[in-house]
Amino acid sequence: MKKEDLRALFEKNMQFFMSIPAFVWIMIFFYVPLMTILGRSFFVRSRVTFVPSPSLENYATFFDCTYFTIINRSLLLALITAVACLLIAYPVAYFIARHVKTGKNILLFLVMLPFSVNMLIQAYSWFFMLGKTGIINTLLLNLGIISQPLHLLNTSGAVYVCVIYCYVPFMILPLYTALEKIDARFIEASLDLGANWLQTFGRVIIPLSLPGISTGFFLVFIPAFGEFVIPALLGGGKQMYASSLISYYFLTTRNLALGSAFTLLSSAIVLFVAYVIYSWLKKIRS
Amino acid sequence: MNINMKSFCLPLFVTLFFLFLYVPIIVLILYSFNASTMPYEWKGFTTMWYKQLFASKEAWQALSNSLIVSTVSVFLSVTMAVLVVYNGFERLNRFFVFFYGTLVIPEIVLAVGLLGFFSLFSVSLGLATLIAGHTLLGLGYAVPIVHSRFCELERHLTEASLDLGATRSQTFFRVIFPLLMPSVFAASLLVFVISLDDFLIAFFCAGAETQTLPLYIFSVVRSGGSPMVNALSTIMIFVGALIVSFIALLQARKVVTIV
Repeated sequence: MKKEDLRALFEKNMQFFMSIPAFVWIMIFFYVPLMTILGRSFFVRSRVTFVPSPSLENYATFFDCTYFTIINRSLLLALITAVACLLIAYPVAYFIARHVKTGKNILLFLVMLPFSVNMLIQAYSWFFMLGKTGIINTLLLNLGIISQPLHLLNTSGAVYVCVIYCYVPFMILPLYTALEKIDARFIEASLDLGANWLQTFGRVIIPLSLPGISTGFFLVFIPAFGEFVIPALLGGGKQMYASSLISYYFLTTRNLALGSAFTLLSSAIVLFVAYVIYSWLKKIRS
Repeated sequence: MNINMKSFCLPLFVTLFFLFLYVPIIVLILYSFNASTMPYEWKGFTTMWYKQLFASKEAWQALSNSLIVSTVSVFLSVTMAVLVVYNGFERLNRFFVFFYGTLVIPEIVLAVGLLGFFSLFSVSLGLATLIAGHTLLGLGYAVPIVHSRFCELERHLTEASLDLGATRSQTFFRVIFPLLMPSVFAASLLVFVISLDDFLIAFFCAGAETQTLPLYIFSVVRSGGSPMVNALSTIMIFVGALIVSFIALLQARKVVTIV
């Protein structure tokens, strides 16, 4: 009897029951964990009784300048990476979008191909470029520019180069899309009306590609802030970045409350900075 | 000056850019054939690292873990995505925005969130927790892909089929699913690649005993690297490139649109 009822209920609402697993999954494994982080960050476990009690102590801990140095370092990494990617990607995207007649798709495909390579492998490949007997040192030694191999690995320079290397394809695609859309007549008109190429570039092409610039900027800026693998492998573990500190709390000291608070604090800061940059870009646009 | 800059500087810059993009990868591949045991010195051609890799128990174990996790995650996320798109399209459409959340949040937040959640309920970490995480990642890609394809389908196909007396499940299997097939295929490939490549969620949610391919590579590279990892990387680069070329081909033929 009861089974029959259940069956009838199920058949009546089958459409609903079939559509909930995906929602349940994303709730349980995404939204609830996010809430868990939020909740945990406001509790402190007593050192004696291990009973958690609500407190703001976790956040108070971070008003120590070491933590801000770490967040600053990650922000700087994200900012410089985004700007460098923009400077590198812009001419390339411009060339593919406006100068290549045939084979555009092949060039775009070649830009995106390294994207399919695991970031760990990309980071590992820089060992061979930057090592003591790596490609760059060998090249410079043979050219006679240096007499001693340079110390390149395990420096923040190595981290920067590799992060830029890994994120540049993120920037090219939105820039390409924006640049390809620009009507060639605007450029011709500007040149006809007496502007030189540089003026046309600064006053016509760049403003018209601003949507692509801002999309690309955030596609690089936010993940670069949370980059974990590259500093861990190429940074030599000397300098902590935001993600290294998060993993330190969660995996090494297993202080989840402090880790949660730091995760939220750094996410909030990066989103705030992103928002400020976004409104600034928007202001230029109008 | 103008002509010079356009016809000379720009192509030169683009060429340098492609060198920057490809030289590290090519060097990595070359060193997988290096006879020296020291990782950075060239001593002649060998395939011994590949033989060693194929003899390594640890690497095979990591591969099998990776394949289990990826296959199960693909199956779960794509099945749930198709079900939710087909059944929830009319009434739950405005809630689909929930599925984009995972794409906005930095992956490390996702990973520590899962870890914190599992530890809250004292779930022991292993393949199952990893599958939970990767299925979550997969949903974030599979739902939008299948959803966009479903939106392109003509509404009256379903109605016609239902009007002509087919049940909802018959309509699904005979009409809708065959039409969704290209997007299901593309979503499966993409989720498979993402799961196979994922490091962060594995690093936080796999526990100490379970190793996937990226975790294996990370642990070896961290302890100085080995030409065996070059060999493994080379294989992974070619497999990845093959899959991505395949997706690009599908996209070029307009069989499927991703994102």
